[in-house]
Amino acid sequence: MKAALMAIAAALALAACHEIPQDAAKPYAGKEDVQPYAGDRFKGDKQKFEQALADRANYENEYLRTGDAKQ
Amino acid sequence: MARMKFICDAERCIECNSCATACKSEHEVPWGVNRRRVVTLNDGVPGERSISVACMHCTDAPCMAVCPVDCFYRTEDQIVLHDKDLCIGCGYCYYACPFGAPQFPQAGAFGLRGKMDKCTYCAGGPEENFSVEEFRKYGRNRIAEGKLPACAEMCSTKALIAGDSAVIAKIYKTRVVTRGKGEELWGWKTAYGGSDKVSDNLGAKA
Repeated sequence: MKAALMAIAAALALAACHEIPQDAAKPYAGKEDVQPYAGDRFKGDKQKFEQALADRANYENEYLRTGDAKQ
Repeated sequence: MARMKFICDAERCIECNSCATACKSEHEVPWGVNRRRVVTLNDGVPGERSISVACMHCTDAPCMAVCPVDCFYRTEDQIVLHDKDLCIGCGYCYYACPFGAPQFPQAGAFGLRGKMDKCTYCAGGPEENFSVEEFRKYGRNRIAEGKLPACAEMCSTKALIAGDSAVIAKIYKTRVVTRGKGEELWGWKTAYGGSDKVSDNLGAKA
């Protein structure tokens, strides 16, 4: 009984611990944008596009070049 | 799905302003508009810190919430962009933004404001990719070329890093773990040998 009450109390207490979106879902009234991977470079291949950006981001990690990183 | 973000490592930023210069040059940003700038705290005092600031492409962007004409949108990669054809230059986004990212070019005498301009994460805007119109209104579209923002790629010390939040958070975590904390950050041992601690060496010198 006590455990059940504790569980209910915990559930109620934690119910407020979530982030409420600050921006109301407003409609966008402007022109539609083209997907960045739609052009000749990626030909609509989203996976290839995301991999290109991830590879590029990893160039920013000089420890990959020097091999001095501690994990 | 990627969530594109910037991280500025205040321990590395040397206030060289190459990020701001790269941005200005890449997008031919007009005078009086600073999409990116370097802010220094405690300038000239030991322990000063600099940080490069621009639009942070917030997950819950306050500019989007306050815009009266709903000209903001978020791309698939969570980059916050806006339509300049719709913007009325009211300045609400400027007041809402905690980073001072929205900028307004002077459009005439008596401080008349033009349409809002801000960091696009080098992703252009709602025009055809690589078109003249896109460049004129929003600047170059490096993202569609498979490149990251010019400011981060130009950063000499790699203080400013850009990319998918999962990737750059991992890079930053590796950095923090590798370099340690406190006096070791200055690289005393690398420069002068001996102990990692500056305080140990100060005693030896005296």
